[in-house]
Amino acid sequence: MAKTLKSVLADAGIPMDFESGGQAPETLTDREITREPHPRVQKLKDIFMESLSSASNEFPYWYTREYMLHDSEVPVIRRAKALKSAFSHSTPVIFPGELLTMRKAPYVRGSFPMPWLSEGFYMAKEDEFYQEALKRGSASVDEHSKFGQGGGNVPQSFGKVISIAGKFGIRQEEVPALLKLAKLWFGKSVDDLGNKYEQMVPGYETKEKIMRNIVCMFDSGFTLPQGREVINYYYPLEYGFDGIIKIAKEMKAKVAGRADGDGMVGMNRLYNYEAVIHVIEGVQNWILNYAKEAARLEALETCARQKKEYREMAERLEWIAHNPPRTFIEAFQMIETVHIAALNEDAISGLAPGRIGQVLYPYFEQDIAAGRITEDEVIELLELDRVYKTSIDCFASVGVVGGVLSGNTFNTVSIGGLDKNGRSAVNRLEYLILEAGATNAMPQSTLALLYDEKLPEDFLMLAMEVIKTGAGYPAFMNTPIAQEFLVNQYGHEGMDSEEARAWAIGGCLETSPCTWKPLHLNGREYWIPGGAGQPTSVGVHFVSMPKVLELTLFNGIDQNTGEKVYEPHNRSLDTYEALEEQFKKYWKETVGVLTLTNNIQHDIWRKNNMAIFSSLLKPDCLDNGHLINELGYRYNATFNVESTGTITFVNSMAALKKMVYEDRELNLEEMKTALKENFGFRDAHEINSFSLADQEKRDDSDNRWDKLHFKALQSPKYGNDDHYADSILLEWENFFCPDCKNYESLYGHTMYPCQISVSTHGAMGSATIASPDGRLSGTTFADASLSAYPGTDKNGPFALLNSATVWDHSMSQNCQLNIKVHPSAINGHEGAKKLLDLTRAYMRKGGFHIQYNIVDSKVLKAAQEHPENYRDLMVRVAGFTQYWVEIGKGVQDELIARTEYEGV
Amino acid sequence: MEKLTYRDTRNYAPIDVTKGMDLLTREIVMADAEAPEGYEPIPKCKLCTNFTGTDTFMGTCEASMNEPKFIAYPDMVATTCEMYQAM
Repeated sequence: MAKTLKSVLADAGIPMDFESGGQAPETLTDREITREPHPRVQKLKDIFMESLSSASNEFPYWYTREYMLHDSEVPVIRRAKALKSAFSHSTPVIFPGELLTMRKAPYVRGSFPMPWLSEGFYMAKEDEFYQEALKRGSASVDEHSKFGQGGGNVPQSFGKVISIAGKFGIRQEEVPALLKLAKLWFGKSVDDLGNKYEQMVPGYETKEKIMRNIVCMFDSGFTLPQGREVINYYYPLEYGFDGIIKIAKEMKAKVAGRADGDGMVGMNRLYNYEAVIHVIEGVQNWILNYAKEAARLEALETCARQKKEYREMAERLEWIAHNPPRTFIEAFQMIETVHIAALNEDAISGLAPGRIGQVLYPYFEQDIAAGRITEDEVIELLELDRVYKTSIDCFASVGVVGGVLSGNTFNTVSIGGLDKNGRSAVNRLEYLILEAGATNAMPQSTLALLYDEKLPEDFLMLAMEVIKTGAGYPAFMNTPIAQEFLVNQYGHEGMDSEEARAWAIGGCLETSPCTWKPLHLNGREYWIPGGAGQPTSVGVHFVSMPKVLELTLFNGIDQNTGEKVYEPHNRSLDTYEALEEQFKKYWKETVGVLTLTNNIQHDIWRKNNMAIFSSLLKPDCLDNGHLINELGYRYNATFNVESTGTITFVNSMAALKKMVYEDRELNLEEMKTALKENFGFRDAHEINSFSLADQEKRDDSDNRWDKLHFKALQSPKYGNDDHYADSILLEWENFFCPDCKNYESLYGHTMYPCQISVSTHGAMGSATIASPDGRLSGTTFADASLSAYPGTDKNGPFALLNSATVWDHSMSQNCQLNIKVHPSAINGHEGAKKLLDLTRAYMRKGGFHIQYNIVDSKVLKAAQEHPENYRDLMVRVAGFTQYWVEIGKGVQDELIARTEYEGV
Repeated sequence: MEKLTYRDTRNYAPIDVTKGMDLLTREIVMADAEAPEGYEPIPKCKLCTNFTGTDTFMGTCEASMNEPKFIAYPDMVATTCEMYQAM
C-alpha cells in the first residue's frame, strides 16, 4: 500500500499533529449541548430531512410565456408583466402543522431555473449550449466542483427523476419543456447577450483563459446577480402592499412626462412606478392563491385544531396581501412572504433577513404586553422559520451551487449591534432567536452576532451556549470595525456614523450598508434597521492567489492544462522583490479584465433583467422613482474584488523567500521542478482524497523530493505569531485593499476587497498544482482568509489571533477566521467563559470575524465512512453551516484536517 | 374510470419529485403510487380543452395570446390558470 504523507513524515520523525493544546479523548465525543424543537416543528423538520432538492418548470414557463408576448414593450414593463404572470400562476403547497407558509416552488425544497439569466449550464453535456459554456470557461469549474452525495442532493438520475446541474431532481415529464424553454432564451439571456458584448473588451481572450483554468471561480452578472445583501422589510410592514401601490400611483401622476432636470433617466420613473404596480399585483395574487389553498384545506380537514389553523392562516394571508400587519405572526408571515418573493425574482444567494429581532420587536413587544402571544409560541415560530429558511435552494450551476455555496443560500440573521443612538440594540426577542437557534439547530438562518463592548454579558454567554451545540453559529462580527469600513466606503454616498450603526451581515459575511426607518404601530414609533445597499459580492469573483502564483512561477502557463493564460513575462525572478512584483502585475491584469467583462454582464442584466421587487423594498427607490439599475438604492458602491487562498499564498511566499531567496537551499528552477513533480506524490484526484495528510507517494517515487518537501512544510507559517510569515500577510493586505480602488464598477464607484473563501478553496485547490509551502496538487487551500493551514498553527489560539490581526481589518469589507475546537475543550460554564474570553480578545485586537466549529474530528471521519448515520450532523464550513452529507468530498476532507484545538 | 396516481390528485401535497403527503391520511406516499378511489383529480394541462398535442410530454396551449401559440406540457398543474377549461 502506498505511503501517505502522514506516515512518511512520521518515519522521518516529523509529527503532523493536527491537534493543538493537548490531546483529544480517544472515544468519539458528542457536543455538550443538544436541544429539541417543538413537536410541530420536529414533524416538519422530519419532512425536510427526507426531501430532495426538486426543480419545477412552473415559474419559468409563465415568465417566458408572458415575456415573449411583449417584445415591443419598454424593458422594465416587459419584465414586470412576466414576473406578475409567474407569481400569479405559482401553485400553492401547504402542509398540515405549518403556521407560516409561502414557498419558492411547489415542493419543500423547490427551486427553478431562470433561463433568462443563463441556460447553457443545465443542458446535457453533449448539447451545443453546454459545449459553448465550456469554451467560455463558464462551465469549467463544474468539473472541479463536487456536491455531497447524500442528504437532499440528487446527483444522479433515477426512476422518473432526472438529475440536473448535479443537485436538483426534475420529473421526466417536465424535461422536454425545460429544454424547450431554455432554447427560447438562446442568444437572449444575460449570459449569452453579455458574452456577445464582453468579447469587445480588449483582453477578452485572456478572460476566457482565466475562467477556463479556474484562476477565477465564476462570472458575476448572470450567475447570482443579486444577494449578499440585507433585504429591507420596512415598506410592506409600514404601508402594506395596497399602500405601496397607492404610493406608486401617486408618484406616477407626479412624474409622468417630467424629466425634473435629469435628461438621462428622469423620464424612466413613470415606467418604473408602473412596473412596481404590476409586480406587486403579481405578489398579491400569489399570496391570495395561498389563502385560497388554506381555505380549501380547511374545508377538507376533519381535525378541529388543524381546521382552525388553516382558517387563521387563510385570514392572515388575505390580510397581509393588502394591509400592513397588526400582530407578531402577521408581521412574521409578511417578512417570510417578502423574502421568498425577492428570491423568486432573481437567482440569489445570500439574501439576508438582517436584524429581524429588531424589525419584529414592535409586534413582539405589543403582543406580549397584550397577552396575544407567549414567548413559547414565539420560539415555536422562530423554530419554524429555521425549517423554511433551510429549505431555500438556489438553482444555479454545479460550480456555483456546489463549488462555491456547498448548497447553502446564506439567509443570515444578524443579532446585537447598536441602535440608532449608539446603545446596545439587544432586545428580548433576540434572546429567543438565540434560543431557537439551539432548540432547532439547522443550517439556516445562520446567526451573525454584531459584537460591541456594550452588549450584555448574559447575551454573549447565551451565544456561547448556542455555539456549544455545534451549530457553528453565531459567528462574531466586530461592529466598530464594520462601521469604520462603511463610513470609508460609502461616506461619499452619505453614510455617517449613525447610519453605519444600522449595519448587518448580508450573505454569509458581507458587511452591508443599511439604514433606519420609522415604523409605526398602534401610535408608537420604532426605528428599525434594514438594507439600503446594492448586492455585495458582485464584480470580480474569487481570484485564486495560489493559481496566480503558479502562473507567475511558470511564466504565465497553467501547469495542469498547459494553456498559456497570460503573456509570458520572461523574467528570471531572481529576487523575492521581482517575484512579488510580477505576481502583482498578473494579479492586476486579472482583476482589470474581469472588472470590465463583469461590468458588461451586469450592464446587460440591468437593462433587461433589473430587480423590480427587490428595488421597491430598498430605500430610496420608492421616493426617487429609480430602481437598482438607475442607482435608486441609497448605497451603490458595493462591487468588490474577491480573493481565495490567501494563507496558502502567504505560506508559499514565506517558503520561497526563506528557502530560495534568503537561505539559497535551492534555486527557483529546482523548486519549480519539485512542484511539477508534486514532491513525488500522486495527484489528489487519483486517490480521491483532498487533505494533505492523506496524500500518497507515487509508486515510482525515489524519495528525491522528500528533504525539500519536509523543509517546505517546516518553513515559516502564518498563524504562529511569527513575524516572518505574518509580515507577508501584512504586505499583501496593504497592497490588495487599496488596489481595489483602482477598479470601477458599472455604477461608477470604486471597488473594495472581499476576503471569504466560502467553498472555493476546495474547487480552486483541486485545479492547482503543488505549492511552495508543501501543499500537494489538487488538495484544498487553507479555508477562509485568515484560518491557518491545517496543522500549521502550533502556538495556540492566541498566537493565531495575533497573526490574524497584523493588518487593519477595516480596510476590507470582511475577512474570515474559522477555528475548530474539540467539544471537551469548552465543557461547562467555565468552558463557555473561556470561549467568550478568546472571542473578546480577538475583537479587542481589531479582528473582524471569528467563528467556531465545535466538533470532534473523529466524528467527522466516522460520518464520512457512514454518512447514513449522520444525516443531521452539521458543520461550519466557511461563513455558513451545512449538513455534512451535502458537502463535497474535497471540503469534507479539509474540514477533517483542520487543526483541532483541545484547549482554549 | 382510469386510476389516478397521487401526483394527479388534489389530496396530495408534493414534498419533492418522488413523494408527498396524502392530505387526508397524513401518510407520506410515493408520487406515482395509485391514489385511493374518489380522490379529486388536480387540474393539469392534459385535462384542459385548450391543450393540444400528441407528443407524450409536449403540446400547445391554444388559449395563449402568443403567435404562434405557446408551448404547454400535459403534466403542468393548472390550478391557478384562469384559462383552464376542464374537459
